[in-house]
Amino acid sequence: TETIKAVVIDGYPARALWVKEFSNFFIPEVDKILATTGNYQMDWQESYGGAIVKPKGVLEGVKLGLGDIGIVTTIFHSSKLPSQSISAVTPFIAPNSAAVARAVDEIAKEFPTMQKEFEKQNQVYLATGVVLDTYQVFSTTPIASPNDMMGAKVAGAGMNLRYLEGIENAAGVRGGLTDFYNMLQTGLVEKAILWPEAAKTFKIAEVAPYMLSVDLGAVNTKTVTVNADYWAKLPEEVQIALRDVAVMYRDHVAGLTMDRASASREAYVAAGGTIVEASQADREAWAAAMPNIAAEWAETLNAKGEPGTDMLQAYIGKLEAAGYTGVRDWAAE
Amino acid sequence: MLILSSFRGPVAGLSRLGNGVAIGANVIGTLVVLGLVAIVNFDVVARGMFNAPFLGAVEVVQFSMVLIVFLQLPDVVRVNRLMRSDGFLVLIGGRYPRVASVMRRVIDAVSSVFMVLIAIAIWPEFTEMWETKDYFGVPGVFTAPWWPIKLVIFLSASLCTVIFLLKVLALTDKPDNVSVPEHKDAQ
Amino acid sequence: MTPLEIGTASVAAIVILIYLGVYIPIALGVVSFVSIWLMRDNFDLAMNLLKIALSDSVMEYTFATVPLFTFMGLIVSKAGLGGDVYEVMSSGFRRVKGGIGMATVGANAVFAAVTGSSIASASVFAKVSVPQMLHYDYNPRFAVGVVAGSSVLGMIIPPSAMLIIYSFVAEQSVGDMFLAGVVPGLMLAAAYVGAIWLMGRFFPTFVGGRPASEYERLPWSEIASKTLPTLGLIVVVLGGIYTGWLTPVEAGATGALVALIISLVRRRITLEAFWNALLETGHITASILFLITAASIYSRMLGLAGLPNELGDMLAGSNASFFTIMLIYVIMMLFLGTLLDTASIILIVVPLFLPLVEPMGLNLVWFGIITVVGAEIGLLTPPLGISCFVIKATLNDDRISLKDVFLGALPFASVMLAVLILLICYPQLTLAILN
Ligand code: NA
Ligand code: NA
Repeated sequence: TETIKAVVIDGYPARALWVKEFSNFFIPEVDKILATTGNYQMDWQESYGGAIVKPKGVLEGVKLGLGDIGIVTTIFHSSKLPSQSISAVTPFIAPNSAAVARAVDEIAKEFPTMQKEFEKQNQVYLATGVVLDTYQVFSTTPIASPNDMMGAKVAGAGMNLRYLEGIENAAGVRGGLTDFYNMLQTGLVEKAILWPEAAKTFKIAEVAPYMLSVDLGAVNTKTVTVNADYWAKLPEEVQIALRDVAVMYRDHVAGLTMDRASASREAYVAAGGTIVEASQADREAWAAAMPNIAAEWAETLNAKGEPGTDMLQAYIGKLEAAGYTGVRDWAAE
Repeated sequence: MLILSSFRGPVAGLSRLGNGVAIGANVIGTLVVLGLVAIVNFDVVARGMFNAPFLGAVEVVQFSMVLIVFLQLPDVVRVNRLMRSDGFLVLIGGRYPRVASVMRRVIDAVSSVFMVLIAIAIWPEFTEMWETKDYFGVPGVFTAPWWPIKLVIFLSASLCTVIFLLKVLALTDKPDNVSVPEHKDAQ
Repeated sequence: MTPLEIGTASVAAIVILIYLGVYIPIALGVVSFVSIWLMRDNFDLAMNLLKIALSDSVMEYTFATVPLFTFMGLIVSKAGLGGDVYEVMSSGFRRVKGGIGMATVGANAVFAAVTGSSIASASVFAKVSVPQMLHYDYNPRFAVGVVAGSSVLGMIIPPSAMLIIYSFVAEQSVGDMFLAGVVPGLMLAAAYVGAIWLMGRFFPTFVGGRPASEYERLPWSEIASKTLPTLGLIVVVLGGIYTGWLTPVEAGATGALVALIISLVRRRITLEAFWNALLETGHITASILFLITAASIYSRMLGLAGLPNELGDMLAGSNASFFTIMLIYVIMMLFLGTLLDTASIILIVVPLFLPLVEPMGLNLVWFGIITVVGAEIGLLTPPLGISCFVIKATLNDDRISLKDVFLGALPFASVMLAVLILLICYPQLTLAILN
């Protein structure tokens, strides 16, 4: 039996869902598969929570060989990994982690673009992770429709600040998840965009007891990658095991996320929160008023010689096949 | 000492040049401090009173931090304010001034090697960012390019190397007492 | 070499190099670089470590608190707010034995809430309160000891550069760290006042001094004009953070602006002094953040070596108690505190102990306060005690030797140790304010 050392890195702490499942699911599954032949055995060194890199540093850490395997948080890298924004630029389609994870992962494997982007960062793409079910709007005052957001200050982060361009006079205020409670409590903002599990973790019901269920959609944020030099030296048997388990991990994490999502909604209500379903017409109106950020995204990729438009169409097609049709066809324009 | 004296001219000239550049960078870095105070206050007021937060505040603050630290670092080295505990050196210097002087020069030489390593490590990062035009931030919201950051770090490390080398070649055995204006306090 | 051996050897190498006078960040960086190179026999990996630490470390939004609070502290020092608060306090405490000493502690506690560094506190109060205590025939050792002891409040009561540094290393919120520092800081101030009272009672010759009969009570208007600016600043900064209206970065910027306005309105600042404050801010920021960058190279080296994993396993296998670990921790900080400055101690010991402390379920905010208070004891202990150095240098008086300063500070260092033990035993003292 040959022993192979693997340093796994993430900047998030070991208690984060996807990190915990890497320890409790990914690693034992790989070990199990390798044990069937007994040719190879992994010697795992798990370095999380800033031991080697910070959350934004995983991509570079794997690139530079400070870690052999990493969980890259892709939303930090819109410039180096532009195609990873695919689900963030297509809101109002699928509030289902598993469906989005599978669709993005298949796009990554059927089109060369995502893998090429990681290749440039000296790493091999293994699988996509989705750890949030769907963005919703949380409010300090009763809210019945997106119209109640007009003129309001809304806390958000990343691409979802652009969703606010579809709401008249709404001002996006940037903040980290950990700041949202304070921002809402002090009245610095009246609304915030986040997902139910985060709302539960940060006790948002105490300060923003009204949730408008608009189902902005699940977003892919994590990708498991392997340093390319390390990968090239791995025996094929180990490569195959890693690839297979990565897909299992993708579905496993997305499944857990969905379980947690419904529990989190219940916890929000139990903590005194009220959930109002937005009407289909309201969702359509919001989507219609937004700039077509999906088309912008596809254009940017097209301009680089990548099949942006094709990827967008294929992605939306996959979600449709899985039973999720958006309120606006981002690819049709 | 004979050999040293023939260096006197060039070393003094190089010294003036290196220190001059460090002081210049320091002035720019100092203005960035002022800019930082201004930009964060602007964001607070714009958000609180006019419902119009400045969405680039985070990137601008991150950018200014790099500018402040790396534009000022060479001057910090120049005026001997890089953190060290020199009790032992001072103690030795009292009895064996030559030993202390040699130790100081060795330390400065090691420091200049470390700075050169930083410069060498960061240069390819700069060329890569220059070619790919990579940015940070959220496209459509606010973005800032990476290359100036890498360039500033590279230039700063190079300048620190030079200034450490100048300390190695310094003609006096005792560390220069650089007068720092901020220390004659107007209390 | 096993990770543990590499870790131990590198800590020893760093301490020796720093002792020999190598610049602290250079010692951290060079030792880490060489360790990785030897450990993995890979020069490129060592270079890559430099790359990632340099680009990853300075680009932290919350780091802007360092220049902003430094600038604010320098402006309020130059505007003489420390002296003002002190005058009011000393008129209040005038009848008590050791009263000027207590006033110094009180003024330090208030001034600490608007400045981020103990050095600023030490230099301001060495100038305003030592001469006055000597005038009233206080024992010189006691006079300088009080100033040295109470200067540490500057870095325990928020804002504080050390709390910021810890929050970066341990990935805790700066705001939480600031709030958690309030009660321990006030406790320490109260303990000092109590200790001075006891000293006046039982060791009157150590304290010395005579009642200040010729002291006039300050009129209310003057009390107001001397304290309101500082109180206003405290309300803006700590109030802003506590209510959540401002992030620590924004509180720093607003505080700096308000301090600037106060000093302009009171015509207490010249253009030259203003520019010098900016210059000094830049120098302090660059040296602190370069130090943090170097420390992050070091802690990443330990991570690559797998030291945290090994320490974690060791802890799991040894069932070492909370008591043992904290005892080792405190002893290690006191030992390092004899030689190293506070920031270096934090940056060296925290990465070593976090992997031990985190799995035990201990609160990391509380752990940070313990760390900062413990490391700050070193400011008062020989041979390298920065607060004592600053006081000696600021006084520039041949009658008071460095030895006098250290001996005078010793009782206060003991009080700190007692408070530290209390804080370790009762985490609620630190954490209650957060809930
Ligand atoms: Na303070
Ligand atoms: Na000490």
